[in-house]
Amino acid sequence: METIAIDIRGQICPACLLITLREINTHKTVLRDGKARLVIKTDHRDATRTIPSTVCAMGYDINVTGRKGYYEITIGYRK
Amino acid sequence: MYPEIVLTHLLFGIGLGVVMHRSDFCMAGAFRDIFITRDFFRMRAVILLVSVTSVLLYLARTAGLVDSYPPSFYSSPSLAHLAGGVIFGIGMVLAGGCVMGTLYKAGAGNLVSLCAFSGLLLGSLLFAWAYPLHRSFVEATTLPGGFTAMEHLTGAPGLSALLIVSISILYLFRGKERPAWTSNAFARGYLDPWKAALIVCAIIILSFTLTGRPLALTSGYSRLASCLAERLLPEAVTLPSARSDSVRLLYGMAMDPESLSGTDPVVLTQVPLIFGIVIGAFLSALRLGEITARPAPPRRQLLSGFAGGILLACGSLMAGGCNVWHIMGGLPLFVFQSVLFVCGMGFGAYVGSRLLLTTVLQVERCAPHGNHSY
Repeated sequence: METIAIDIRGQICPACLLITLREINTHKTVLRDGKARLVIKTDHRDATRTIPSTVCAMGYDINVTGRKGYYEITIGYRK
Repeated sequence: MYPEIVLTHLLFGIGLGVVMHRSDFCMAGAFRDIFITRDFFRMRAVILLVSVTSVLLYLARTAGLVDSYPPSFYSSPSLAHLAGGVIFGIGMVLAGGCVMGTLYKAGAGNLVSLCAFSGLLLGSLLFAWAYPLHRSFVEATTLPGGFTAMEHLTGAPGLSALLIVSISILYLFRGKERPAWTSNAFARGYLDPWKAALIVCAIIILSFTLTGRPLALTSGYSRLASCLAERLLPEAVTLPSARSDSVRLLYGMAMDPESLSGTDPVVLTQVPLIFGIVIGAFLSALRLGEITARPAPPRRQLLSGFAGGILLACGSLMAGGCNVWHIMGGLPLFVFQSVLFVCGMGFGAYVGSRLLLTTVLQVERCAPHGNHSY
């Protein structure tokens, strides 16, 4: 499975959610076919609330992992 | 007495910095999220903050813990409060945070917020030059009659708190669905904004009972800016055009100096509060392992932060205070100038959101969809 990595650490609010949604729309086909997953790196604490709640409602599975200095949000399509 | 005042405000600031960082309880976010993602989650906490503060202030006053009521330090409303609110609202969205948001995010190592803080300092100096013009505008547009708060009009103690609580309840429970207060944020040490709002309420009430005043930051960063200017550009500060009325602003606003025996009250209260917020957020981020090197944000965002900081400073100086002074202090007392400021701030947040989406982030508005509700 292809991994599409997006690093949005340090960016202004609310760039994290908006850029994530833009990337989901851009890669919608491969994400829905299960051929790719999106891995977002963010240091924006509120993004660990807004991204999961918004993206889950769109039918995607999500996993959030705390890394040193940032959070890694993995998004894949829910089968 | 002075070390106690400084230490108290430093501790207030540290407490605010920790709480704000843990909860990401950003007022700019509360307003902006409504326009960009239609997310009302943080706005609920702001409304809770205002209504609980209003009730607690009334109770504190009834118990004789707050002397200055109705507040003498809030002047009659003028169009400058509305215009200042609009400028402030645009600025806070572009800067990615209000003044307090800028401070706690800068403390946690956010580069855009550091740029916004630089803009705040520069904006304070720039506004000093336009101060005579601002004074004329205030004098021409001030509401006559000396009415500063709802209580001046009605003469009924407690009516302000009753009105604010009623409006809050109507707003919060206007829909059929129960509003969500908690969230499933995955951030380490996350504090729900409603809990943060109640802690901030406690700090506001402590500030009122100990100093007779709400929390404030505006004069503090104006003072920091003037100190920097004195060192870097001494000629500019001593130019004749920078004297007279603007000196009052450049060197801090009058804050009842008699009660502090002539010692600079801004340095005693607001400057420690500013440093406290930065220190508190830094310690919180350090404790959570969030202080690390990170890639630089796009240049467009850094510029947005800087420009937003300048607007934040100009807006808050024009309105006689930032959102901390008006939303955490004036609005709970139903002070008219704060009501004007908040109306302007809401409109400014809308304009700022449009600018942020089209000019800075260059993305379309993305409202959450699906079967999810905030």
